[in-house]
This record gives sequence, structure tokens and C-alpha cells, in this order.
Amino acid sequence: MAVDESGRPYAHPLYDTLDHFPGLSLATTSLDRLLSWSATNSLWIFPMATSCCAIEFMTSAANRVDIDQMGAVIRPTPRHCDVMVVAGTITVKMAPRVKKLWEQMPEPKWCIAMGSCAISGDFYRDIYSVIPGIDTVVPVDVYIPGCPPNADQVLVGLKRLQEKVELHRRGLVPARDGRPEHDKMIDPAIGRVTDADRDASTTEQQLAASRDLGLGGNSRRASDTPSSRQGGVDEEAT
Amino acid sequence: MAALDADTWAALRGAFPSALPIDADPSGPVVPVDLHVAVARFLKESLGFTMYVTVVASHWPQADGSDRFEVATVLRRPSNPSVTAAWRLQIGPEAEVPTLFPLFAGADWQEREQFDLVGVRFTGHPDLRRLMMPEDWEGHPLRKSYAIDTPHPPWR
Amino acid sequence: MGSSTSHGAAPPPPAPTRDVRPLRMRVNPFLDIDQYDPEADLMALNMGPQHPSTHGVFRIKLFIDGEVVVKAVPYPGYLHRGVEKLCEKLTFAQLVPIVDKHDYVAPMTNEQAIVRVVEEALKIEVPRRARVLRTILAELQRIASHLLWLGTFTLDIGGTIGGGASVMMYTFRERELILDLFEMLTGARFHYNTHTPGGNRHDVPVGWPERVKKVCDVIAARLPEYTAACTDNDVFDLRSRGVGVIDAATALELGLSGPNLRASGVDHDLRRDAPYHAYDEVGVNVAVATDGDCWARYIVRMAEMEESLRIVRLLIDDIPQGPITALKPVKLHTQIKVPAGQHYAAIDTPRGELGTYLIGGGAEKGAAAFRLKIRPPSLHAMAALPWILPGNTVSDVVAILGSLDPIMGEVDR
Repeated sequence: MAVDESGRPYAHPLYDTLDHFPGLSLATTSLDRLLSWSATNSLWIFPMATSCCAIEFMTSAANRVDIDQMGAVIRPTPRHCDVMVVAGTITVKMAPRVKKLWEQMPEPKWCIAMGSCAISGDFYRDIYSVIPGIDTVVPVDVYIPGCPPNADQVLVGLKRLQEKVELHRRGLVPARDGRPEHDKMIDPAIGRVTDADRDASTTEQQLAASRDLGLGGNSRRASDTPSSRQGGVDEEAT
Repeated sequence: MAALDADTWAALRGAFPSALPIDADPSGPVVPVDLHVAVARFLKESLGFTMYVTVVASHWPQADGSDRFEVATVLRRPSNPSVTAAWRLQIGPEAEVPTLFPLFAGADWQEREQFDLVGVRFTGHPDLRRLMMPEDWEGHPLRKSYAIDTPHPPWR
Repeated sequence: MGSSTSHGAAPPPPAPTRDVRPLRMRVNPFLDIDQYDPEADLMALNMGPQHPSTHGVFRIKLFIDGEVVVKAVPYPGYLHRGVEKLCEKLTFAQLVPIVDKHDYVAPMTNEQAIVRVVEEALKIEVPRRARVLRTILAELQRIASHLLWLGTFTLDIGGTIGGGASVMMYTFRERELILDLFEMLTGARFHYNTHTPGGNRHDVPVGWPERVKKVCDVIAARLPEYTAACTDNDVFDLRSRGVGVIDAATALELGLSGPNLRASGVDHDLRRDAPYHAYDEVGVNVAVATDGDCWARYIVRMAEMEESLRIVRLLIDDIPQGPITALKPVKLHTQIKVPAGQHYAAIDTPRGELGTYLIGGGAEKGAAAFRLKIRPPSLHAMAALPWILPGNTVSDVVAILGSLDPIMGEVDR
């Protein structure tokens, strides 16, 4: 039986009807599993794409990071879709439209906030025309941090949503994400192209070259005394 | 960059000898409001500044609490080498300047934006509505008296 | 809709007469809708603000008579983020990551535009190494931006099913190569934050020039694929030739710039006419087309990609040695102060003249701007729509909008 966030079951008329027929429980359980499986792996995405994150969202649909491999289809109409991906800053002028489009989507529906503008407003948070996070307007299921998040992180976020959808259908509520521990960082779904053919010695040479530049950071941190490292005294000021 | 190169300034000074100061201001000459359209027309038709670049209105609150506004206009000559010409208008709290729309159709949205954000009215503009903010917005956000985090319930 | 008429007997509908007249002789877009033809059966069609073909959040209200647009009223501002107000609060070192987000398809050139006005105001001489590096970055960014434009434009006129999506897949393949170069240099795929008043933050990494050359070779080899997919394509030809014609005087008066202006036959490019960075050393061959339609805008952008490849290959071999910033590393972000005075500086981005008008002497004794106005090229391209849309069909609206290459983050700021 499917439940929503608060553990309340969906009042779907189909379940009531099926309960009236004895012996159908086995069939409905199998049917439920089939429905869970299909719902999880065919999430249709409605892109509420407003700004920079939209470009990176397009990249996630393009060839290097292919969102189709997750069974997700991008449809620019709310009435066909299960998931709204809010990619970009939402302004006061746009927020009523977002709300309206969200209400046009059929139940069950989910929302992904992609990028720091959709999550919290980022550095536009305090500006007169920007709403501080999309979760003040619509309920958000998954947050994908970044400015903008890399295209493969969109896949990770979609994977998290799939887990959540499946747990919901089994009547469970998923635990919240904590901060990722250092040794359990989520691996990107697809390796970056630069990583594969990058020589380890190149990284070493780059680090050495940046130290030679003497641009504040690295050299200062390596050579300075602990007191000045904590930012207490500026040499030029004294 | 000087707002006007020497040749342009000399030609402009020759066309409006009594109204303009003798020395060119590096920030652009201050032109009387009633000569605004005439200066733009002279630059466009006689000196070849045919490309509309931008208009910038700014709000200068005074110590006595009154408002002053400054409107700077920039045009460009699309030649090689290409130069810009900028001049300024200084206006009081009535905040009205004549529009350049009859000369440059590109002034349409730029002037609407300045009206929206700074609150300077461009008289004669055919369609002076808000451009960026919703139609029912109160206040002009780029005035110095407007707080950057002004709330707008129920959305923020 | 005429669905009841028989198929054989219906004559082909007359082709709509497209408006190619000069600006002041065109239909006045500010007429009240009642003043148009009273006999016409007008319908209002609202497009946007959430529409896949508006390149962002942009709303345009079309009054249509059958299939032909009679009047178009655009409504921008759905992405107005109040950046100019924010710029009055932040110091000049803090501005660079903010302006990255305006034209989010070409962030490199945004940063260059804003640091250039600060350098002009303070009369900072940028070291030659930084100038050459900036030129390379700007041209690589131009290729990446035009590639994304080509992908979305073919998507607009071809549709996902109609073959447009295949060109988009090709262009994104090449764009990723350039983004990898930027990631290698700055550590970010976009929103680089690599320019600073007086120079650059990130020096050239080891092995970067070789990789740039490799990428240039790959892109140069693949550009003919686009010619095969677009130039030689009859559908592309029919959808773009003669659509959305803007003549030279109209384009200038509307303030169009960049490829949109050059497609109308105006030989004007800030890279050559008012050189900045290292453009005076390389010399830029400006691509100009005379037709002023969507096809000309496509041809100009394809030629610009070739020219950008030439400039990058010319400069990448001998990036001069020396310092990369003129100023010492800024320890306090309030160190850069611009005194009172008004300055305007502009560069030629992939979308046109991106200028910054700066009034110095703001808060913290000039550490912040008193007023900072960004002159976005896309705003003028969008302001041209009410003039050029009437007379075109609804399907051409999408083609014209896409060919002007608007970025809404830049229009609304």
C-alpha cells in the first residue's frame, strides 16, 4: 500500500475495489510490485528550467551523461510528467507560475530542487525579487547541491528519488541524507573523461607550479607561523 | 576612457556653443535637458553615431532629503575605429526626461527598464510600462532608499 | 480549422507575405489591438514563460490571424534577480562570480566585461600573458556558445523527433571538450571566477596548450559535419531562409550587436574596431552576411567558429612568459577602490556588445560601485521582436526567436 510522506495511505479507489474480492490479495501484491517497478524506472521529467542550471540539465540529457539510461524522459508539459526539476533561480514574478504548473501535474508527483538557487536562493537570497528557495512554494523531495551541479550529479539525485519512490510504494519513508562521510562519498555514475587519461605526474607538476607562483594561498600556508596562519595579523597592515 | 573623444567634443561644442561648458568632463558633459534630443539627433545625423548603446539612470539622494537623478546616454559609431559618445542629464525630483524613442527604436526597452528600476519617466515614450518587475510592484528597486531585502508577501 | 474540407480540392494556402520593410515603415507595434484590421478574426496566443522554445523564461503574447502574427507583445523579467542592486553592495573583487550568472552560456566573457571596466577606470595595464590567455579563453568560449546555439536552434526548427536533436547531440559532444579545457584550467565546468581586476587567477596548467590544440583539431574536423547536417539540409534551408529579415539600418537603430548585427550587413566588430585583450596583435577577420535573415545569422556564427579556431591556434603556441596579474594578490577584498567618475567599457561577446557602465565612488570609500549598469546584447535582440514578428507565421516565431540567440539571464539580470 502506498503511503505519502506522513505515512498516510493514498486513498486510491482501486485498492478499495480489489479488497472486496477474496483471493485477489496475492495478485494485487504482484501487481503492486509491478507498478512500483514501472513507476520507479519510468520517471518523466518536467524541466522547470530557468537559468544556469538549465544548461547543465540539458547536458545531463545530452550524450556524455545520458539521463535516458535511468528511464527518464524529458517532456516540457506538466500534464505528462511525474517529476518537476526546478533548475535555476525562481523570482517573485515566476513563482505563481511555478505553483500553477506544479498543480497541473497529476498525482503522484515529486519535485527535485537542482542547484543552490532553487535550494536556498544562493546569493540572490536577500534580493527583493528572488524567493528564498523553491521549498517555500512547492514540497521538495530531493535537493541536488551545486552551482550548478555537475551533470552526473543530476543522475545521482534522480537515483535518490527512485529509491524514495520505491520505498514510498512499499510503505516506508526513507531516512534523510546526512552529510556524506569522507570515505563514503557518492561516486559519480559515469567517470569524467578528463580523469581517465590524466597522468598523475601532471597533477604533481601543477601543484608545484602553483606553489612557485607565490600567489598567497599555498606558499603562505606552507611557510607561515601558526599565529599568522589563523588570520590574526596582516603583514602589510602592521 | 573619456566619454567623448576630442573630435566629437569639438564638433558638439561647435554645434551648441552657448549651452555646453568649455572643457569636456571626463565623465561626459552635462547637457541641459531641453537640448537632450537635439544633441542625440546631431550625433546621429551629423557625426554618424547610429548605434544605440544604453541609457543609465541613477538616483542621488541629497543631504536635505530631496532626490536628484542623473541620466547618462551612450551612443556608438559603428566604424573602424569605433568610438562611443556619452552625455549626462541632471534632473530634480520631478524625474522627467524626453525620450529618444523617435530617434532610436532600441531605446524602447532600455528606457522602460530605467523607468521600472529607477523611476525616471521618459516623456513621449509610446509604451512606458514596467519591464522587469510585475505590473503591480510598488517602488523602484534601484533607488538608494529602496532596501535590497524588501519583502514581498506571500512569495518572499 | 477547416477539417471538413476534402483533401484533393483544397488549394495550397497562400504563402504569408513577410515584412522586409525598413523599421519606421513597418507595422507600429504599439497600436492598440482594436486599431488593426477590424474584420480580422484575431486570437491571442500566450507563449511562455515556461516554454521549451523560448530559451529560458520569456513570455510573448501573440495576436494571430489564422497562422499569421499580427502583433507581438513580449514580457521579459521572469528572471530578474536584481544583480545591479547587488553590485552596489559588493566590492569589485566580489563581483566576478556574480556576473558569471548573467550570460550563463558564455561566463568567461561576462567576467572579462566587468573586469575590463574596472581596469579602464583604474588605468591598470594588464600583463601580456594575461591578455593572451584572455583572448584564448574568449574565443574558446565563443565556440562553445555558438555550438550550444546551433544545437538549440536546430532543436527549435527541427524538433526532437524531426532530426534537430541529433545536431544537438553532436554540438554538445564538442562543447564538452571545451568545458573540459576550462575545467582543467579553473576547476569549474562553468562559473569559473578566473578573472580578476588586473589579470587572471589561474595560470596555464602543464599540458594545457597541447590539449587545446588537440581539441581545436577535433572541432575543426567536425565542423563540416554541421555543414552537412544543416547547410545541405532542405528543411533547414526552408525554415531559415528569408525568415525574420532585419535590414542594416533597422539593426543599428534597434541596437542589435554581435552576430545578429553582422548578419544584417553591418561590418562592425568590437574585437577589430575597438581592440581589447590581444586582438590588436592577431587581427580579426569579421564575418559579415547581407541577407539579415535566420540563414544569415547561422552562416555568420559558423564562420565565427572557424575564425575563433584560427585565433586560438595562432596564440596557443607561444603564450608569453611573465606575470599573470598586474596587481598584487588582493588580501582584503576592499583594496580595489574606484573613485567617483563614470566609465563605459564594452567587449564583443558571442551575443554582441556586452558593456558595463560604472559610476564609481560608492560605499566603503569607493570599494563598491555607486551604480553599475550592464548593457546586455540579448535585451536589444528581444526588443526587436515586436518589429520583426508581424507577418510571420507562428512556427516562424520559434525560428526567429532562436536565431537571435537570447539568454534570459542576460536580458533580465
